[in-house]
Amino acid sequence: MNIPSIDSQRLIDIGYDSDIASCGNFMVLDHTILNQSSKIEGLQVIPLAQAFEIYPHVREKLFFNLVSADKNEFTKMASQADPVGYYVRVEEGVKIEEPLQAAFLFGTHGSTQLIHNIIELCDGAELNIVNGCTTAAHNHKGTHIGITETYLGKGSHLGYTMLHNWGNEIEVFPVGAVQVGEEARYISNYVAMTTVKKIVSYPVAYVERGASARFYSIIFARQGAYFDTGAMAVLAGEDAGGEIISRVVSEGGTVISRQMLSGNVPGTIGHMECSGLLLDENGVIHSIPELRGEHPDINLSHEAAVGKISSKELSYLMTRGLTEEQARSLIIRGFLDLKIEGLPAKVQALVDEIIERSIEGSI
Amino acid sequence: MGFLEIQNLHVSVGGKEIIKGINLSLDAGRTAIIFGPNGSGKSTLLGTLAGLPGYEITKGSITFKGQDLTKLSIDERSRLGIGLSYQYPPAIKGVRLQTLLDNLSNDSDLIASRAESLNLTNHLCRDVNVGFSGGERKRSEVLQLMLQNPDLMLFDEPESGVDIENISVIAQAVRIMLEKDKPISKRSKSAIIITHTGFILDYIKADIAFVIMDGHVLGCGAPGEIFEEIKQDGYKNCASCFADKFQEIITGDE
Repeated sequence: MNIPSIDSQRLIDIGYDSDIASCGNFMVLDHTILNQSSKIEGLQVIPLAQAFEIYPHVREKLFFNLVSADKNEFTKMASQADPVGYYVRVEEGVKIEEPLQAAFLFGTHGSTQLIHNIIELCDGAELNIVNGCTTAAHNHKGTHIGITETYLGKGSHLGYTMLHNWGNEIEVFPVGAVQVGEEARYISNYVAMTTVKKIVSYPVAYVERGASARFYSIIFARQGAYFDTGAMAVLAGEDAGGEIISRVVSEGGTVISRQMLSGNVPGTIGHMECSGLLLDENGVIHSIPELRGEHPDINLSHEAAVGKISSKELSYLMTRGLTEEQARSLIIRGFLDLKIEGLPAKVQALVDEIIERSIEGSI
Repeated sequence: MGFLEIQNLHVSVGGKEIIKGINLSLDAGRTAIIFGPNGSGKSTLLGTLAGLPGYEITKGSITFKGQDLTKLSIDERSRLGIGLSYQYPPAIKGVRLQTLLDNLSNDSDLIASRAESLNLTNHLCRDVNVGFSGGERKRSEVLQLMLQNPDLMLFDEPESGVDIENISVIAQAVRIMLEKDKPISKRSKSAIIITHTGFILDYIKADIAFVIMDGHVLGCGAPGEIFEEIKQDGYKNCASCFADKFQEIITGDE
């Protein structure tokens, strides 16, 4: 097998870092699984194909269940191929502090990578996953299709951090859906700081009684990049909660930020925010917030703002002696500094570091 | 050439002339008060000295430490020794006060002790001015200025919106910054302080006061006396006290 060498810095930039304690690992290069491990009893991290043999319900009930195989051309393509990806399972009541590190590497120029992951947390289980996607080299051209179906049992908790570090010739089509069981909590944290040709992603969470789904995204769109991303939370059970927050900076790229909250039973609460900062006149940020209420006893709200760096803030910092460049950099860093409640400090620190590193030298 | 020399300064904001020929000079180590009704051009004067955008100098000159200030950017003026305490500072989401202060001083112990002296220790981890009360903003301004340690401090109503207890906290900090405990001849820090209420005069002895009305300096004199007159007779009558309306003003101690 001809495995191209992988730049270790590219792995670190997607959170796959051996210096960080983890509960398990999973690594795929193109369609080859390079690494799989679980260090904790009650945590399974195995290839999906293997899971089909051990756990019949995975194929019968979970595979192409939340995501329809007919959803679009990409899911159709994926449904016709042998599934490559992980099955992550946490047994009932098992709470895991250290994150699971997973890396999906794109290594063959001109190819299409098809990934299908299934996550299943049994009742009361807790897990954090740091999922990173990158190309083995900067100049690769190709397509990545990633399907993720997530099932959260009653009272379980999943923190799902996705770090994208693609190249400028890669098109990416993640398709995600999450079933957030009763009183479960789901936190999605999406970070894309480096260049990419195109990303289209619109994960959906179905949130049951007393449960919550929170989506956070931080996007830095460089010249030529095209993002059509967002999230939707269907607040389907009483007292379900949803939050969708995005911080978008465009340095010449285009970002369409779609957010939807839908509430149709009493007591549901949802809020969304899209803040966009335009650094370059070629950049486009198009925020599309949608709220759909189907019961009077719900509370859904949104805030959106798109604009340039405030000249008042800039001159304020400059009166303190900072140069214009330093002041801009401080404001942009601050804008992207999204502290996520419920995310373990280690994962937050990792995300902060990756953001800081990619801002450095680019602003 | 003096420390600060403003000559025949005309400033327009949005095409409207606000400052209409101001002459003013200040020596190093001296504190000047500016009185004047709302809209008279006081804040415009300080903003112009700091180099804020929107203030267009149409005529006149400003020299500071012998340099033509009008040719310098905001940050260059700051590095030359000009510091502004804003009347309405903006809130900056995501930028923690500590982060900003770290840009102003490398001395973390000094930052901590100054913050404590201004009752702002718990605010260091908060975003700059986000959710701060009026008084907290003013204390934060003074804290930033303390660490910036400029030679000419421009205070735009440092005590407005501040409760009595905290006025003395602010005033004490300003006293330290202006080296008020040193003999006059040993002081090197100067200030121009705009005050409406005059409360700060109870704590800080200023050397001179200027009265500005309608973009002109009407006159100058002893701060306490002028403030008493304004309190008694208002600005209109105060104006008549100054016979020679457009006189050239110098600091009174020469």
